[in-house]
Amino acid sequence: MASVSVWIDEGCIVCDACEETYPEVFHVTEDTCFIKAASRTDGNFDTNQFSKSVVKDDIDLEILQEAADGCPVDVIIIETMDGGASEGDASEAPAEVEPEVVAPAAAEVPAAEVSMGGDRSLLVLFGSQSGNSEDLCAKIGKSASTYGLEATVKGMDEIQIGDLAGQMRVLIVCSTWGEGDMPDNAEDLWVAANGDGAPNLAGTHFSICALGDTSYEFYCQCGIDWDVWFEKQGANRVVARVDCDVDYDEMANGWVSEALPHIAAVDGDGVYQEDAVEALKAKAAGGKTAVAAGSAFDIPAVERAELQVNIRVFRYDAVSGESGHDVWACAIPGHLSVTEVLRLLKATEDGSLTFRDGSPDDATTGLLVNGRLILPGRVALADIATTRNGESSLRIDPLPGYDVIRDLVVDHSDYQTHLSASKPWMRGATRGASQLEQGVMGTMEAPLAATLHIAGDIASYQLLHSASDTTPHNRSYVGPAVVARLWARCNDSRLSAAGRASHLEVVQGPNGIKAEADMSSIHRQGRMGAIAALSLLEAKTATLEADGFTGRHGKHVWWFTETVKFSGQLNETTLAGATLGPFGMAKNALTGILPRMALGFTRNGAPMMRDLQALFMPPGSVGKMPKIINSKVDEHHEIVALYNAFDRRF
Amino acid sequence: MARHRYAYFPGCVTLGSAREVQDAMDGLARILDIELVPLKGASCCGAGVMKQANWELQIALNARTFAQAEAQGLDVLTPCASCQGNMSEDFMRLTDDEALRERVNEQLEAISGIRFEGTMKMRHLLHVLVDDIGLDVVATKVKNPIDFPVAGYYGAPMQQEGACGDDDVYDPQYFEQLIEVLGGAAVNYDGRTQSVGFPGLLAEEGSALRMTAAVISDAKSEGAMVMASACPLSHINLDTYQVKAGRVSGEDTDLPVIHLPELVAWALGHDKSRLAYLKTRVLVMGD
Repeated sequence: MASVSVWIDEGCIVCDACEETYPEVFHVTEDTCFIKAASRTDGNFDTNQFSKSVVKDDIDLEILQEAADGCPVDVIIIETMDGGASEGDASEAPAEVEPEVVAPAAAEVPAAEVSMGGDRSLLVLFGSQSGNSEDLCAKIGKSASTYGLEATVKGMDEIQIGDLAGQMRVLIVCSTWGEGDMPDNAEDLWVAANGDGAPNLAGTHFSICALGDTSYEFYCQCGIDWDVWFEKQGANRVVARVDCDVDYDEMANGWVSEALPHIAAVDGDGVYQEDAVEALKAKAAGGKTAVAAGSAFDIPAVERAELQVNIRVFRYDAVSGESGHDVWACAIPGHLSVTEVLRLLKATEDGSLTFRDGSPDDATTGLLVNGRLILPGRVALADIATTRNGESSLRIDPLPGYDVIRDLVVDHSDYQTHLSASKPWMRGATRGASQLEQGVMGTMEAPLAATLHIAGDIASYQLLHSASDTTPHNRSYVGPAVVARLWARCNDSRLSAAGRASHLEVVQGPNGIKAEADMSSIHRQGRMGAIAALSLLEAKTATLEADGFTGRHGKHVWWFTETVKFSGQLNETTLAGATLGPFGMAKNALTGILPRMALGFTRNGAPMMRDLQALFMPPGSVGKMPKIINSKVDEHHEIVALYNAFDRRF
Repeated sequence: MARHRYAYFPGCVTLGSAREVQDAMDGLARILDIELVPLKGASCCGAGVMKQANWELQIALNARTFAQAEAQGLDVLTPCASCQGNMSEDFMRLTDDEALRERVNEQLEAISGIRFEGTMKMRHLLHVLVDDIGLDVVATKVKNPIDFPVAGYYGAPMQQEGACGDDDVYDPQYFEQLIEVLGGAAVNYDGRTQSVGFPGLLAEEGSALRMTAAVISDAKSEGAMVMASACPLSHINLDTYQVKAGRVSGEDTDLPVIHLPELVAWALGHDKSRLAYLKTRVLVMGD
């Protein structure tokens, strides 16, 4: 009988099914399942994923198989000593099992067969600060099986430097933080790599994807450092390193599509079979393991059904001054992006149609499509077309808040002018640093780093500028994009005091955050809007506190909150009086606001007497006149207690 | 017992300067067999203003209101789009942030003896009418059709993910469908989901008035003869500040603006004289 090991793969949902089936072997913990010590020969108590210890002879393989079959997420892996692994039958010899991509039937790709036998392990390592590297590695891990690889994805803080010895295949994605700093989870490994115990990696094949930001001096430095280090340790680079900027998707995808087949071409004996690369690519492209839409590899054939769609496109001719919408009824594949739809219209319907063309991540290509602010290269027709009563429609307009130049092309100078006037650049501060192998490096607390990354996760600031409903009506307002950028920088510990003061002057000035009349219009624009709205709210709160809740903005917020404490309800009279002051109230009376409140019903037909009564009995609050004094809500003391618990300023 | 029961959260303005909303809510609830169960002791939702001073305080107050509704096993119904948007956002934040929820619940338990569990939902009248009552049922109750073009105003606060029922966040249709069912002609105009800047009305009056004027004039240019607002707060801008908005912007803002509950209640036969006055204003007086 072949020796058998059983281990738990990633993705256990801790459903207890296996433990109920075979409690002598399985023990479900809070977040995964362990193989019990008494059931395995090494006596350890863990998932057995890495040591793959053999189970003891007295373990009943039928019950073990029953437990594996009953696992709803198929993470119980049973393997015989000769290397065949499956989620299936432990009693059948799996020695002949090979990844489908090298099935003997693939006679047209003999080279691939050479590379697919034996050890197919791949270590995917990430050095990540904000999660981008980790996300990318997770996608690599999922797609590795397409090339017959068995990937293990790990953070750099999950391995020791010595673990790299003996690894035949290693792919690394590493970001760079600040001024060439290693991400937090890579620091220890880097120190160890430059210590005495650095291993010889003569049998290792590797490739590196470096993530960075070109606006920093030490662009992609950490990826470069690791690349040099691996080479120095004797490892073989199968694909040249790529250095990716902030919008890394396209470059990183390109690297992955090369790195995976090349690393897969390292055969079970550790020999790099370069001739097999093309065959592996071809096999993977036609392989059964489909690439999921939205993954790092979503460029090839993700096809969606054709849509019969009515497309309304805004047209404007500056010469004639005419504007309106052209309408086309088309049948278009649903997976085409909005940019591709526009290219199609321009090529086949109207060559004069004008729009900003560019890559999917081009921040200047933004449009308003069916009421949503989008980068049109990123959104598929099927995902944004509105379908009602069996009819699909798409309405494409230029971004609001900007002057239209022609058709869908707008002039972004409103945003750019405010941005340049705000002097948004980084003025660095002298700050704490650590002496590392490659010199002195600045450091930053991980939570702050994560917060800054999230605040800066805006696909297009031109788009964000357009999200505010205020900007078209107040051209002095710098707009949400400038405020959000500056506020994020104000929270950056690398900014000098002078730089922070300069930024705050803009953010807290009369044309800064105070000029935003309603943040809800920004908040509703998806993830970008939610991120920006949070930044704006923080900036507004900080601004009002810095002003001591004075001025109209401060008084408005202060008295709103204060009146709710008084009675549990907002008192409109008190709020208006305290915010506007006597002169403001008098002005309102003269400009018709107060009379209109008293007589407002006459506009839609209510008996005028109902409102006139309010003039004589204001507290009675008949009609449109609000109460002067609110009565307290039931259990009002609970509200006061909550105020006392959460904010004693009121 | 009524067929539909909700914990009723009228909002401060409905209890203050927009009593006509309450009058209409009582009328339509009676006709549509809705029981508006009072939330005794509920506080102001903060209207997106209080959170500028202290968001956690605002969330705690709203958590208390949610917990009160949960104690009765009811969803919360509000006729105010600002309350709906604001409270939905706080609801989502409470359900997403466990640490925040625990901090708030600790105080709520100590002060009010209740906890927020996240079992209730925030519902706006518009979504209740379409999703719960059903437009087919509403249609059978119409006695006085609103037989002129009506522009429905959603506003920005309610048109957020998770706050507008099953309606489309960016290209909503519920209001238009309702207007058609009530006998009116729904006016489709861009401004229906745009903000009129109510939170900035007192502090940034110029911007708010121009935003208000843009929405009204857009509706007028598309043929609206009356506007119905899903938000009593925005109604202050749209109605009370209407003339001033027109003066500041130079745009045509002369348009009767009523509340969504009024539109529904009057069509269902509540307060016939108010509808008659409105028709006189719209069809006889005009601009």
